[in-house]
Amino acid sequence: MLIQFTCNGKAVQLEAEPEARVIDVLRETLALTGTKEGCGRGECGACTILLDGIPVNACLLLAGKIAGREIMTIEGIAGADGSLHPIQEAFLDKGAVQCGFCTPGMVLTTKALLDENATPEVGEIEEALSGNLCRCTGYGKIVEGVLEASRRLTHGSNHSGEVT
Amino acid sequence: MKVIGKRIRKVDGLELVTGRAKFAGDYKFPGMVYGAVKRAGVPAGRITGIDVEAAREMSGVIDVLLAKDIPGPNLIGVLPPFDQPLLAADEIRYAGESVVLIIAETAEIARQAASLVSVSIDAYVPILTVEDALAPDARKIHERGNITCAHKLIKGEVKPAFEVADVIVEGTYETSFQEHAYLEPETVCAVPGRRITLYASCQSPFHLRGHIAANLNVPASSVRIVQAVTGGSFGGKDDVATEIGALACIAAQRLNRPVMIAHERKESIIGSNLRHAAHVTLKTGAMKNGRIVAREITVVLDGGAYASESPFVTMKTLIHSAGPYHIENIQVESSTVYTNKTYCGAFRGFGVPQVTFASESQIDELADKLGMDRLEIRRINGLKAGDANASGQVYQESVGLQETIEEIAAQPALGKREDSSDRYLYGTGYACVAQGISNGAEGIDITGASVQMSQDGSVLVGIGLTELGQGSRTVWAQIVAEILGIEIDRVSVRLVDTDTVHDSGPTVASRSTTVGGMAVQKAAGEVKNSLLSMAGLMMQTDGENIELRDGFAILKADDSARIPISDVATAAYWTGFPLMNLAFSKAPEANYDHDTHQGTIYIAYNYGTHRMDVRVDKITGKVEVLNHFASHDVGKVINPLGLEGQIEGASLIGYGFAHMERIKYVDGIIQNANFADYALPSIKDRIPTVSIAVEDHNPTGPFGAKGVGEPPVAAAGAVFANAISDAVGFRFTKLPITRENILDAVQRGNHG
Repeated sequence: MLIQFTCNGKAVQLEAEPEARVIDVLRETLALTGTKEGCGRGECGACTILLDGIPVNACLLLAGKIAGREIMTIEGIAGADGSLHPIQEAFLDKGAVQCGFCTPGMVLTTKALLDENATPEVGEIEEALSGNLCRCTGYGKIVEGVLEASRRLTHGSNHSGEVT
Repeated sequence: MKVIGKRIRKVDGLELVTGRAKFAGDYKFPGMVYGAVKRAGVPAGRITGIDVEAAREMSGVIDVLLAKDIPGPNLIGVLPPFDQPLLAADEIRYAGESVVLIIAETAEIARQAASLVSVSIDAYVPILTVEDALAPDARKIHERGNITCAHKLIKGEVKPAFEVADVIVEGTYETSFQEHAYLEPETVCAVPGRRITLYASCQSPFHLRGHIAANLNVPASSVRIVQAVTGGSFGGKDDVATEIGALACIAAQRLNRPVMIAHERKESIIGSNLRHAAHVTLKTGAMKNGRIVAREITVVLDGGAYASESPFVTMKTLIHSAGPYHIENIQVESSTVYTNKTYCGAFRGFGVPQVTFASESQIDELADKLGMDRLEIRRINGLKAGDANASGQVYQESVGLQETIEEIAAQPALGKREDSSDRYLYGTGYACVAQGISNGAEGIDITGASVQMSQDGSVLVGIGLTELGQGSRTVWAQIVAEILGIEIDRVSVRLVDTDTVHDSGPTVASRSTTVGGMAVQKAAGEVKNSLLSMAGLMMQTDGENIELRDGFAILKADDSARIPISDVATAAYWTGFPLMNLAFSKAPEANYDHDTHQGTIYIAYNYGTHRMDVRVDKITGKVEVLNHFASHDVGKVINPLGLEGQIEGASLIGYGFAHMERIKYVDGIIQNANFADYALPSIKDRIPTVSIAVEDHNPTGPFGAKGVGEPPVAAAGAVFANAISDAVGFRFTKLPITRENILDAVQRGNHG
């Protein structure tokens, strides 16, 4: 079927089986390979995308369900000029990224959280990110990254580079 | 120093946060096809027939490969005699064993076709326990028998020492199989040609190259391995990457089409190595003053169906099981046994987490029996510079164990226990660890690294060790930037491509910073010499009067006399001073007696002490980790941000090992091969690790540094067990200590 939706701010129209998985549509048809598949069962969160601003597992989402809706993938979060989103900067500065395979999903889940709740408590961060697994960091630096992103977004500063 | 010791963010992080990093599954080539394997599904037996007709007839299926289609010996492994087939030809030794490879137009078709393959197996009674494998009349899993390997360590004489000991404690301890659970499942992509190229999520590209070439029956020079950005490994992407890498290459050459093989999560669990389950019997004798005089230890590891890294893991348990203590009399027997289960091999810690849990549990039991403080007994026995460790090796420098103990002792005690509800039990645990750095007894340890400066003053580093997320590229870049006096963002580290970097040995044994860093340091030093010589000519002085700093060659005597390094580099190029250097770091070779394992083995050890405070809910069994202090002697901190990341990440793997994670088998079949049933720590399970670095200069590492990737796993696992045992007042001797186990012990305590 012909499916129309918005992806990273651009109107997209493509031919897909209605039961095709959105992760495959993104990765194969649109070549947006930043969305990662870690388990294929909605258990790890690596394939998290935003559907109308809500984090969802693209491995469990069927193409037919995205018609007329708005998707954001990791490729769509940076500024139009390529400048990193404050969440991306904060994750780098706080050491929230090691192997990076869970990172796109972590960043997008964080965006959904901070859009909804600009200054979350640690417990709220843990709740929001509980569906996103990471095996490298031990999660502490991810929490720090989210808190730092929250500070930068609410105070409007976005320092990059070395943080001491 | 300008760059060393600073919180530098990952040099390769930009690609990762933007989703632009190219992992193996992100490669795409015209005409690419996909592979999937049919697995045995039963743990033991003999293949009597394979029916592939239904699979072959399925639309979209391109090729079907059996063992007979492997051009080479159809064997992989770490040590000869290699014992693991790519595709089983006759014997089935574990349920996840690959038997048939299907190549199809899509991965989905390949999987469906694989499910249509019918493998007839004359099933044997599977050998599922170490005891059954060692029974005198046991069926032989391999022709050579059921003992994969066995080693002994003998220091002094334990028998007379136990006779004079005032107290003796004895016990047995067990640990379970643990899954690596890197988020990226194993993936490879082979592109055919006169020389074949494999893009692989892998840990040791040169190891892959050798085995893949052998199984293709071509010289190593006909195979090129390019490491894709790799989504975690922790020891796990070696054998299995070799297996699927070889299969993809063989199919690609046969079909003259690119072939991708990507594991599903279930396959990543059942079809690739796990951490060995261990059975440790331990006896410790000590004097009233707390001095340990003897330890006698037997370690038996369940290695599953194939040897993989078992010979080396076994050796590591041998050398590490007496702990980081100065003990005159030690006897250890370590062995690994074959069973009909998923094979076990390298996993961050490499045998040390299992034996450290046993050893540190018994140190607590000994302290209790002596009525001695549990940290004090570690202080009394802990290694110091000049002491002979278990293998009789004496280090005169960089033995920082005592400093880590003092750092831990200096941390604030567990705060006031405020609730009066009597609902909670509180406990504190301590654990010490030492972990050898470098290949040590496992083989010669050499790393080659190149440093190449362009005329614009930027630098490209090439090294055969892999970035797996641990931050090694950042460490190497920092070393180069420091030596050449340039900004960190002027340094790039090449992709590991076996065509363009030197073989640096495997990325294992916490050696990337230490041995790899030394090679990088040497190579950068040679480039520095060229720059200084050139700058000397330009400034009409000796090179030794000049320093490289802030992007300039600067006259030491006159800060205003400076030339941009890019100008010096350009002049050096036109003058003919080399701006590229390939240097080697070779660790002193291990030299020890193979019967007793006495001698020099590792170039250095990382030492650590952890403390953990826990609160146990008596009603639910739920554990809350209130504090976790992790102090490690790392020689010199290259990057605090990276160091904390390593200690925190390794600690949570250790915590998972001790509290949550266990591969569950029923009749040789893994029951929890997914993240819903295999309890991997989520963000809600995180622990409040505080990293405390001790810097006891290591003469064998760059700027005095030592690796730290592995040892926190062992310490965190052991410290959890000791903290919980302290809280509940019951000595747990099996890992994991799950919430159910804790609740059970609490309730038994209440009723008894």
